[in-house]
Amino acid sequence: MITAEALTKNYGTKRAVDGVTFTVQPGKVTGFLGPNGAGKSTTMRMIVGLDRPSFGNVTVNGRRYAEHAAPLREVGALLEAKSVHRSRSARTHLRALAATHSIPNTRVDEVIELTGLGAVATKKVGGFSLGMGQRLGIAVALLGDPQTLILDEPVNGLDPEGVLWVRNLARHQASQGKTVFISSHLMSEMALTADHLIVIGRGRIIADAPIDAVIGGGNVPTCMVKTDSAEDLMNALAAENVQLTRMDAQTIQVAGLDGRAIATRALDRQILLYELTPVKQSLEEAYMALTQDEVEYRSHAGTDMDAAISGKQAQR
Amino acid sequence: MSTETMKRPRSAAPGAAGAGKLSFHGVLRSEFIKFFSLPSTMILILATLVVMVGFSALGAWGIGRSMAMFASNPEMAAQMGDVNELSASLPASGLVFAQLIIGALAVMVMSSEFATGSARSTFVAAPTRQPVFWAKMLLVTVVSAVVALASILLAYLMAKPIAENYKLPLDFASEAFQRNLWFGVLYVVMVSLIGLALGTLLKNSAGGIVVLAALFFVLPIAIGGLSGIISWLADAARFLPDSAGSALMKMPGAANALEPLAAGLVVGAWIVVPLAAAAVLLQRRDI
Repeated sequence: MITAEALTKNYGTKRAVDGVTFTVQPGKVTGFLGPNGAGKSTTMRMIVGLDRPSFGNVTVNGRRYAEHAAPLREVGALLEAKSVHRSRSARTHLRALAATHSIPNTRVDEVIELTGLGAVATKKVGGFSLGMGQRLGIAVALLGDPQTLILDEPVNGLDPEGVLWVRNLARHQASQGKTVFISSHLMSEMALTADHLIVIGRGRIIADAPIDAVIGGGNVPTCMVKTDSAEDLMNALAAENVQLTRMDAQTIQVAGLDGRAIATRALDRQILLYELTPVKQSLEEAYMALTQDEVEYRSHAGTDMDAAISGKQAQR
Repeated sequence: MSTETMKRPRSAAPGAAGAGKLSFHGVLRSEFIKFFSLPSTMILILATLVVMVGFSALGAWGIGRSMAMFASNPEMAAQMGDVNELSASLPASGLVFAQLIIGALAVMVMSSEFATGSARSTFVAAPTRQPVFWAKMLLVTVVSAVVALASILLAYLMAKPIAENYKLPLDFASEAFQRNLWFGVLYVVMVSLIGLALGTLLKNSAGGIVVLAALFFVLPIAIGGLSGIISWLADAARFLPDSAGSALMKMPGAANALEPLAAGLVVGAWIVVPLAAAAVLLQRRDI
């Protein structure tokens, strides 16, 4: 379990993380989602004590990370790929880190096998591809068989097989009751991996909820309905707070009523429905809606330009 | 102790069994593994040996030739100074350059961590940070002392037959040689520890090596040049680390050198003060 309280980090006059409070629960994969520069990496660096919080604090299983007797067995962290001297081999890097906690070399060989680095373990890290660097970073994170895994953008640079592997690894670790905290700016990836989402923008938490709630939250239930008696159905459903949109001759989009309510009213009027599909907002859409005002580095092109301008006006 | 460890519930990763806690011994082992796994380490140590042996041999030959030439001219020979001192200093004469090689190696022991990003791995594994610094300090002290000792002894073995050939007095047991040997080792340890401190303070290899070179090469020359104009500078120059360090190697009472006790204190200060500053900043700053 990771607990952050009013965690704040200033770099000079710039506030990278602004009073975030959250907990990351064991037994789940928690996604840490946010645009570039939102404060994800800084938050993760503070969890493992590389950056000192300007204010507030963060603990792992009740203690600050540095206060644990065996930090590597408590938390495994992948912060940036290639946190390694270029002239060192992957195996030596792992051996040196294992030595600090007297972790035996057999465990080093295990994580090398586990992460598929066997063929390149004795090669210099300088020649590694981005994906190989990521795998080595994950091997480091797994070295102490930790209770908590913190992975900063773990799928960056991985091939599809690697992405799937990371997803399974995260899910497996969570199923063993471990705490898994994964940052990403890829919403689609989080939708497949995470149980819970913490969304951050400009250093602040914008959402902290189960993934279904983030996707469904904030917007009214919406269904696609198909019937041969479209006019009758529209009359039957018409009410305040219900928005009806005729898509084509047979299809109506109903916003404001859930599937059961629609079906009940159709049954009352003996109208045959042959399709009733809840329309889920995609995670992308939910995320865009959430982070609309929180994106720091917006590309000034097309419709984004308008958003940026209106954003500025809103600030005034 | 072992029963207690075995009783403690532990998640079942077979290879992780027996894995222990973070310890200074472990961090020290980790630093040795890291240090000796880099090709640059061996290259720089070899370079040190070559420079030391080369200087010693060349010096013995040069001085021997001069003495032979001046043999018929006692006035010229007297200008060469105390022959005993001169010969005894030969095996350590390469330190002038070798100090920069070992010093650079010591700078990189810390600065390369930051240059390559491996500092993140290192300080996540040992988040209390100070054990890493102390381990590096111990590593740098041991390595620079052993390399200095070995290279001066090798240089002695190289110079000895040449010196004998020219009938120069180079005696292993002499007070003069022993002084050069042991205080030479201390001198190199001082340079290395200043280098480690600079690498930690600046987090940058090039910057650390440049400042180290400035401290040991540029500053003494600059002050030497200016001391003709500003008289107290000559006094101040004796407190520079190279002057204080080499004062210990010279015969007590040598011109322009601090007394041994004062020189020892100055050398101690040059070791302790930069290291203390580096330790404090390492603890305070973000990695």
